[in-house]
Amino acid sequence: MDRQGRTWMRKAAWALCAAFVLAAVAAGADALAKDKPAELVLAVGGENVEGYDPLVGWGQYGHPLFQSTLLKRDANLNIVNDLAESAVLSPDGLVWTVTIRKDAKFSDGAPLSAEDVAFTFKKAAEAAGKTDVTALKEAVVTGPYSVELRLKEPQITFIGHLVTLGIVPKHAYGEGYGRNPIGSGPYKLASWTEGQQMVIEANPLYYGKKPDFTRVVFLFTGEDTSFAAAQAGKVHVVSVPSSLAKQQVPGMVLHPVKSVDNRGLMFPMVPDTGEKTPTGFPIGNNVTSDPAIRKAVNYAMDRKALVEGVLEGFGSPAYGVVDNLPWEETTARFTDNDPAKAKEILAAAGWKPGSDGILEKNGVKAEFTIVYNAKDSLRQNLALAVSGMLRKVGISAVPKGTSWDEIKKNLTHSNVVVYGFGDHNPLEMYKLYHSRGDLNIYNAGLYKNPVVDANLDKAMAAPSFEASIPFWKAAQWDGTTGFAVPGDAAWAWLVNLDHTYFIDENLDVGVSQMEPHGHGWPITANIAEWTWKK
Amino acid sequence: MRAARTVFPGSPGLAGLRLAEALGLGSRRGRWLWAMGICLAVFAAVPVLAWLLGDAGLEPDLLARNQPPSLGHLFGTDSLGRDMLSRTVHGLVLSLRVGLLAAAASSVLALVLGVASASLGRAADGVVSWLVDIFMTVPHMVLLILISFAVGGGARGVVIAVALTHWPALTRVIRAEVLQLRGALYVQTARRFGQGPLAVAATHMLPHLLPQFLIGLILLFPHAILHEAALSFLGVGLSPHTPAVGILLAESMRHLSTGYWWLGILPGAALLALVKCFDILGYNLDRLLDPKTSQE
Repeated sequence: MDRQGRTWMRKAAWALCAAFVLAAVAAGADALAKDKPAELVLAVGGENVEGYDPLVGWGQYGHPLFQSTLLKRDANLNIVNDLAESAVLSPDGLVWTVTIRKDAKFSDGAPLSAEDVAFTFKKAAEAAGKTDVTALKEAVVTGPYSVELRLKEPQITFIGHLVTLGIVPKHAYGEGYGRNPIGSGPYKLASWTEGQQMVIEANPLYYGKKPDFTRVVFLFTGEDTSFAAAQAGKVHVVSVPSSLAKQQVPGMVLHPVKSVDNRGLMFPMVPDTGEKTPTGFPIGNNVTSDPAIRKAVNYAMDRKALVEGVLEGFGSPAYGVVDNLPWEETTARFTDNDPAKAKEILAAAGWKPGSDGILEKNGVKAEFTIVYNAKDSLRQNLALAVSGMLRKVGISAVPKGTSWDEIKKNLTHSNVVVYGFGDHNPLEMYKLYHSRGDLNIYNAGLYKNPVVDANLDKAMAAPSFEASIPFWKAAQWDGTTGFAVPGDAAWAWLVNLDHTYFIDENLDVGVSQMEPHGHGWPITANIAEWTWKK
Repeated sequence: MRAARTVFPGSPGLAGLRLAEALGLGSRRGRWLWAMGICLAVFAAVPVLAWLLGDAGLEPDLLARNQPPSLGHLFGTDSLGRDMLSRTVHGLVLSLRVGLLAAAASSVLALVLGVASASLGRAADGVVSWLVDIFMTVPHMVLLILISFAVGGGARGVVIAVALTHWPALTRVIRAEVLQLRGALYVQTARRFGQGPLAVAATHMLPHLLPQFLIGLILLFPHAILHEAALSFLGVGLSPHTPAVGILLAESMRHLSTGYWWLGILPGAALLALVKCFDILGYNLDRLLDPKTSQE
């Protein structure tokens, strides 16, 4: 081959290379500027096996999506009108007068009237269950678009039901409603394959702003599968445990959201006297019934280390049940990671080191079991880490993982349990610490302090929410007693979580509100406002 | 054999050969004995190592999370800073314990049923054969899960489930062996002298069955251990922080996509090595006890 021919060949080769590079760049650019997808795919959990029926608890944490509520919370957690045009509480705190908008329709075309609102509240009061609208005496329709919700006794937290209880249609509610929900929310259910996925479509009759995405798919996959799907670029939003949040996912950005979702240790408050619940389960624990033990546990733990070590930094230490909410009593805060103080408290209460280094008092060893839900790796890790921290002050806390079924049936009244709570409404605090609280879920430790009860009752009976706040605070710590750590130390709260999501870099989810308990579903609170960046 | 012993330059040399001869490595029999000895040493080493390491590595150390293998942590650490070597060794101890209990129980059951079925008449034979068929037709894993749930789960559930499911194959082998022995001259002579069936079984048949029994027992171990790992992988009632190899492997699944390879590969390799040791032990014992090969 002569020289010219060789030069030509070289040029051709260069041209070919350039073409490849160009093609690759073009393809890359194509991948970067992805078009708006026909359907949005979310792997954030949210499957409710009981169905999407607000009257049996759907939407209690977060929002019901298919149904709309009388009031709602905006991104700053301020309560604003949704279905209601006005909602006014009478000065005696007994009657909510609600006027609703006239243009609201259910997804089947029927108009939403005051009848439906009254029906929803009446049914929810009858059903009790998770919604707990039991304070309602009657719901009276006073006009086509106005209704009065009359209470048995003043309950300032009742407004929470106006925010979370989705309105169901009187004409279409019945058996099987949860599988085929009809509501007035921004979306309607298109199909639901249980255990696999749910498809929702925009409700054309929705009275509010029409959502940008007309079709949304929820994948009900496990943590690992969801994460793998995100890495493969198959989903647009995925909720991930904090342990995976430090990973890089191509084409997605990390979206951490503050929450009031907390984790803590519930202590059985009464001694074990052999007493059983009416259903035959043991009550009480001779170690945790000693306030010195409960306080020492609270002081000994290093919550910052838990946040760094277990949550990978995605969270904050929790000192009480309502950290950073307006009704938190900040004087009840304390300095933790103080083993010396913990030992001092224990020594003052008569706990002495035994032969194996574990403290003893009157023949009782400072030993208890920390029960956690075996399926929840976060709670497992918290239980293990706490156990290690407590050994240093001479308390033996033995972790035990088992099923929720077993915990709720058998163990919850006599063992320390890792629980998670967190609500936008102080009603939860009432249920956790009032001696009248639900003993199966909330006040399983049988906490009882008459002063706390009185303060919680006063808060409930306050004429306005602002007026109730001092009483909520006093229940935590009034200078002499309370359920917080300086007082009875009825719980040892550990951490507040940040909920971590990976979101497609082209998806704009706006400002997420501080999320309640439940990692995943709550991010869809403002889904109607989500847009695709071009 | 002689030809292979020519000394080439660079090979261990004559002294090395003498040493090998002195250690008994010259004959196959000697090498089998050595292999078996090493396997037994490995089994002994596991609990000793667990004892030496103690429980310290099982405690979370939040400052040493997700560390790759190093001199301080040979198997690395997990997401809570627990030492993976400690967790693996403690897991293997549990595996060995479950394997020992379950294989022993299973093989004794197999021996009793096998001998009974072959020497107690047709009715007994029918019942035992029927039981064997039933157990063999139900998928193994399903049976394991059902039994371990039925007895309440946990480590006890795993032992009972593994013990109750591994006898059928060995039962068949022993039954066949006894059936064959029944025709043997010395057994028939003993009968004629008026010994009952159980006495014949105990004094004349059992000694003959011992090799099969021993090898069956040892070869049950790897099965039992792998099934223990499988059951704990599924997490039947064991607390998920219990150090068990199956639990470690299940946990490592969560980290497949994150690059923490040591969480799964090292405990898995350790389990494999342990199981392989049992395999080698059983194989060599078989050849050693078999008159045809024992003197090679």
